[in-house]
Amino acid sequence: MAAIEETMKAAILEKIPGATVQVAPGSGGGHFTVQVVSPVFEGKSMLESQRLVLGAIAHLMKGDGAPVHAIDSLKTRTS
Amino acid sequence: MPLSDQQRQQFDDLVKKSRVVLFMKGNKHFPQCGFSAQVIGILKETGVPFETVNVLSDPAVRDGIKEYSSWPTIPQLYVDGEFLGGCDIVKEMYAAGDLQKKLGVVEKPVAPPAITLDERAAKAIKDADEGNGEHLRLEIDEKFQYELYFGPPQAGDIEVVASGVKVLFDKASAKRADGIRIQWVDTPDGGAFKIENPNEPARVKSLTVTELKAWMDEGKPFELIDVRGEDERNIAKLDRARALDAAGEKHLLALDKKTPIVFQCHHGSRSRSAAERFLREGFTNVFNLEGGIEAWSQKVDSKVARY
Repeated sequence: MAAIEETMKAAILEKIPGATVQVAPGSGGGHFTVQVVSPVFEGKSMLESQRLVLGAIAHLMKGDGAPVHAIDSLKTRTS
Repeated sequence: MPLSDQQRQQFDDLVKKSRVVLFMKGNKHFPQCGFSAQVIGILKETGVPFETVNVLSDPAVRDGIKEYSSWPTIPQLYVDGEFLGGCDIVKEMYAAGDLQKKLGVVEKPVAPPAITLDERAAKAIKDADEGNGEHLRLEIDEKFQYELYFGPPQAGDIEVVASGVKVLFDKASAKRADGIRIQWVDTPDGGAFKIENPNEPARVKSLTVTELKAWMDEGKPFELIDVRGEDERNIAKLDRARALDAAGEKHLLALDKKTPIVFQCHHGSRSRSAAERFLREGFTNVFNLEGGIEAWSQKVDSKVARY
């Protein structure tokens, strides 16, 4: 796994300890697909769940030279 | 960087400047990113009026809205001042009908489209079915580009059975699919699906020089238009080609809009632009002679001078 994907995964785990996190390359450079499984999403709307994950990696998506351009697909599940 | 009270106030006003506000890259006529374009497509489907804010034209808005919404990506959709989400969420809400509820639009039920599958296409699909609960999906985007693949059923899907094959459509695709015909055709590398769709807007069709020769030999009625200037026409030209001068232009515009018109130039590039222009004039049977008079000289009639 490339360094940036490791960094994303670590950032998500820091915010959501114990989650199962998968980060894979998406449709082009700087694009990724992310899947996170954690009971923390229980009872949360899709917006709240995605916000939690995106919030964890927001610092990697900031500015013009950001290593992460876009998340092609973000799936959050409770199990 | 946290927003100042004043900046926060500015965004409070901005997200409420209309009932539906989309922060996007580009504008509703020229979205400059695929995700923004998808949301625009959905909003247009719902028929509600909406405003857009182009974040590319102001870095302060681009960074600020991410902070304001606690959402790191663009596009971002606001309805009644409330943040709904980005592309994924909007797509999902639309498919489930939740977006329509939020917007207060009553959606007309979409009638299942009438589709035809020829026998070989049906067989190819049945052979490809792995029996894992996924179904054939056909997506047709607003540019009438097609995606045919096996995928899981989704909320709001419209289901059609043809030739014993179940095909799933999302609502927008279903509206574009009525009367569609799916065939399996032989190609050099085995075979491929071919989709004929009567809802497709007219496009410039490609014509090869050998096809043009065949048209001439069988006496098919059509117009051949040479878009090159006089100096080039003096070097080489096709006998029946009419110049696209003022008289030629007038002649064309008086024709029935269904008349087949073939545009030709030196290599096939200027003629394509001319063909596109006549498509916009409402002509529906417009062809571009690929390779132009150069290809004609090489493949059909070597007596036509090359230059």
